Order: sequence, then C-alpha cells, then structure tokens
Amino acid sequence: MDLAALKTQLKNFVQSMFEEGVLDNQFSQIQALQDSTNPNFVEEVITLFCNDAERIINEINRNLGYQNVDFSNLDSYVHQLKGSSSSIGANRLKLACANLRQASDERNKEG
Amino acid sequence: MAPTLPSGDQASDQDNWDNGRLAHKRQLLTEIVLRNRLTALVVDGDTTCRVLEQLLLRSYGVQTQGVDNGRDAVALIASGVKFNLIIIDMILPVLNGLEATRQIRDMGVHCKMLGVTACSGESERQAFLAAGVDVFIEKPLDPEHLVPILRELDGQ
Repeated sequence: MDLAALKTQLKNFVQSMFEEGVLDNQFSQIQALQDSTNPNFVEEVITLFCNDAERIINEINRNLGYQNVDFSNLDSYVHQLKGSSSSIGANRLKLACANLRQASDERNKEG
Repeated sequence: MAPTLPSGDQASDQDNWDNGRLAHKRQLLTEIVLRNRLTALVVDGDTTCRVLEQLLLRSYGVQTQGVDNGRDAVALIASGVKFNLIIIDMILPVLNGLEATRQIRDMGVHCKMLGVTACSGESERQAFLAAGVDVFIEKPLDPEHLVPILRELDGQ
C-alpha cells in the first residue's frame, strides 16, 4: 500500500474513533500541538501514555484478582488512569475509569 | 505563511481557513507571552499529564519546568526560583498537592496557582482552594481554561 493510501486509512481510522466517542476534543488539541518543532509529538505522547496505561491496567487486574480486594489501593490506580486518559483525549477509557471508581466505591467486585 | 496540518494531507479550503485562523490566534498570543516571558512550574506525578501540560504551555510561549512530586516542587520554590504560574496536581508522590500548596503559600509566594486534577468532587475542590490554589480545574488542562489566565498574567 502506498504512503498516501496509508495516510488516508489512518485519518479515517482516527475519524471513526472520534465518531464512536473513543476519542474526544482533547485529542484534537494534542494534534494541534504537533508542528515542525515537534514533528512526532502525537506518536510520542501516545506511546508514553500506552506504556504507563499498560502498567496501571496490569496493577488493576492484579488487585482485582485477590480474594479480598484492597479498594483504596485500586482506587489510586484508577484515579491515575482517569487523569492521563482524560489528558490525552481517550474519552471511553476515562468514562470506564469513572464507572470503575463508582463500582469500587460501592465495594462491588462484580461490577 | 501557509498553515501546516499535522498529517500533511491535502487540506480542504475550510480546513486551511480554520487552521489559518487558529495559527494566527496562537501567533498573537505567543507574541504577547514572549514579550512578557512568562514562566510556569508544572507539578504532576504522571508523566503523560506533565508532558502534555508542559507542551501546551510552551505552545503559548511560556517557559516551563516540570517536577514529578510535591517535595521537589516545594524545594524548588524554597530555593528562590520564581514562576508566574504553578500548575499542581492534588495527588502527588512523596508530598501531596494540598500540603505542597500550603507550604508554598506559607513561604509568602503569591503567584497564580492552578490546581489541575482528575478529582472532580466538590469537597476536593473546596479543599484545594482552601489549601491555596486560585483556580480548580478538572483534568484535562485545555486552552479554554488556560488562555484567559495567560491573558490576565500578561496584563499584569
């Protein structure tokens, strides 16, 4: 596939993420920050976010695996993920964090 | 100067017009800020958030420094470094944002402090304001909240 076609495919993919609510306006702000002085900024910050998020999600899964879940420990991880996902425009992930916090508040492991 | 789109694609006329206006606005604001050489300290334990906030500020010409915990923030201010603006998160490693804010204010530092946090509750808002931040902003920090503050600082 040639470069132009790949670029179009990427653009369409990102557009569909906006339409599905996976990404929100905050991501557009970040795209707007990329310029000739920061040519790979979007890619770099996404990589940064994904590495951090992977680590946090692993911790969340580990915490949820225990018989007696330490909800306050879990909460601090979810809070951190909520902060970074909202900063990068990962809308659905941010909402999922909010839901998880609420379920965790209710001490509802099933939720 | 023709505006450049991040993806480098062929832009529609509307895209060019919108991006041109946006670039022009940013240019004006950057000139104002550079004339006054505003400086800001960003205190956030999360790398993604700190990097994004610093870059957002830099895009408006603000010179920034970043630290990832409350203790280093307090130490930096205590060493005599002056900032026009401090962006500080509530939950921080080593020393939390509330306590760090109090200590900074106790030093007699009166610069604008923005509490930028993922916490969204009213009690958190009240606590952060009581600790000494001037404005409480729920993450993400965006131009809509930041630009009026930069204009205000520029006017001083």
